[in-house]
Amino acid sequence: MALASAPTERAFSSRRERDWDELDALVRVAHDRGVKALEPGAVRRLPPLYRDVCGDLSRAQAARYSAPLVDYLQALTAQAHTVLYGAGGRAKADDSDRALQSQALGVRAMKKPSWAVAFPVAVRRHKKAMALATLLFFVPFFLGLFMTLDKPEMAFRIVPETMLRPLTEAYQRGFADGRGSADDTLMAGFYVNNNVGIALRCFALGIFGGLGSAFTLVQNGLFTGAVVGYVGSQGAGLNIFTFIVGHSTFELGAIVIAGGAGLAMGWSVVAPGARTRLASLQHVAKDVVVIVCGAAVMLFIAALVEGFWSSSSVPIPVKLVVGTANFVLVLAYLGLAGREHDRPRTELLR
Amino acid sequence: MSSVRRAPLETDVAIETPEHIVFRYRVAGPARRTLAYMVDLVICYGVLTVAVVLVVLAAGSASSLGNDVSGLAKAGTGVLLVALFFIQWIYFVWVETLWGRSPGKAALGLRVLTSEGRPIGFSHAALRNLLRAADALPVGNLLGVAVMAGSSKFQRIGDLVAGTMVVVTDDRTMAEPIRLWPPASPKELGRLPNHVALDPEERMALELFLRRRGRLGVAREEELAKMLVPMFAERFDLSPSHDDPVRLLALLYDRAQNAGRDEAPPSSRAPDRTESPSSPTKERTWR
Repeated sequence: MALASAPTERAFSSRRERDWDELDALVRVAHDRGVKALEPGAVRRLPPLYRDVCGDLSRAQAARYSAPLVDYLQALTAQAHTVLYGAGGRAKADDSDRALQSQALGVRAMKKPSWAVAFPVAVRRHKKAMALATLLFFVPFFLGLFMTLDKPEMAFRIVPETMLRPLTEAYQRGFADGRGSADDTLMAGFYVNNNVGIALRCFALGIFGGLGSAFTLVQNGLFTGAVVGYVGSQGAGLNIFTFIVGHSTFELGAIVIAGGAGLAMGWSVVAPGARTRLASLQHVAKDVVVIVCGAAVMLFIAALVEGFWSSSSVPIPVKLVVGTANFVLVLAYLGLAGREHDRPRTELLR
Repeated sequence: MSSVRRAPLETDVAIETPEHIVFRYRVAGPARRTLAYMVDLVICYGVLTVAVVLVVLAAGSASSLGNDVSGLAKAGTGVLLVALFFIQWIYFVWVETLWGRSPGKAALGLRVLTSEGRPIGFSHAALRNLLRAADALPVGNLLGVAVMAGSSKFQRIGDLVAGTMVVVTDDRTMAEPIRLWPPASPKELGRLPNHVALDPEERMALELFLRRRGRLGVAREEELAKMLVPMFAERFDLSPSHDDPVRLLALLYDRAQNAGRDEAPPSSRAPDRTESPSSPTKERTWR
């Protein structure tokens, strides 16, 4: 009989409990203060102790010891497991997968790109979603722009009049005198809260088949177009243009990119291809999280430029030059950075 | 393969380690997670409120001294807006990247893990918390709770996208094994069969019953035991009219559990030996 040689539960636990207590103490320290708080010797003790306790758990289950003992060992094993196995495990597996695949295809193995390069690479990998997002934003934008330039009163149907009037007055005044630094801080805070919030929500709502992102893009495109058109129709066109030229690449670009990420995420659920819907979603999510973080950084830059530069009294030609330079630089960064990581046969490699 | 028996309805999730050990986590349900969320909100907005009150008090005393504070008020509002943004979008990503759980989750003994049972990293934390905006629809996280109800691991939309789950890692107690007390008398031992074979469910049922004895009323305890005894009496050829059914179940459990083991107590082996009194019970807990 298999159980003939198994010790009683009491004997088993009294024989092993010194190790359990030791692992227990180490894991508690690691959980409360991090693995780095452990002594070098203690770190070396961790893996053998963990393996022994794994064995004890198996033995306790096989010998059918009572539930509390098995539960205790399960909890101890689980806690030690979270200390020993870090989050990086899966990413490394991905990397070695990629290396193997590249080898099989005779392609030079590529290291994982750094974050600064990963962003444009991920954006380019979802070119179609980005192009669609651009259309979904800029078609309503120009629609709103030309409609309100033609018939200014149309703007009130899109943007509340109580919001448009003071805005227009502000732009008619111009920014020749600049703005106080207190106002700058206030407005930078407002832009961070409002614009970054809009972009992140625009992304998150993409989970519903992309519809949420599409709606947010169209809505914001129309809104922005109507505001610019109305202010322009009231004779402050140059003022508003010089105001937005500095930061609009970052701001509108980031909203489009975040929306594009939402569309890509939604589309992965609608058309999962060979994967299950969940697997397809989680696969695209790896790219999408990089894109959204990049877009958020762009929006922070936009908020700082908008709060402290766009409203300053810098001469108009300088603003125009800087704005154009921003546009070219951002476009070049998104289009060109890290091209060696673009994989032509992506579907095959993924 | 048409198995009629469906998997039991459980809130456990099994994790297999590289050592081929399988252990189980209890996934956290909506109630516990809502409470944790509220604790986090109270922490965030509590800190913010205290900060705002302090700044307003400072500004009030400055303006009573005749200083112009309108600039300070504007700058303060700007900082406040950034703080609101931080609470809404950054806070959870930040704390969950650092510790794998927010202070609210820690207070309720919860932890975020990947679906494979590993600790989460930045991208997991970012995805699951950015998608809070979708879970929050239409109002009060209703959609998130509905999606959780349909998921085997209680995952809201953010958890599904990031491939994470929230598990309970609260206190567990390692109780001492059940001991037969007082030790079996030679007369009792003589009446027991030498070999008591129980299947795992029966053993678990007896164990749960014996562990809960103290919390059941005496009458209820006997009633339950009397229902069980005939079942075993027939199988193990015992006299069905035992004077103490609870004691009989304890004897059966003891013999089934310890028979044939090294250092087994006398009740599972020879009929005439004396047992030493039990040592005081010692309990160990795991958080």
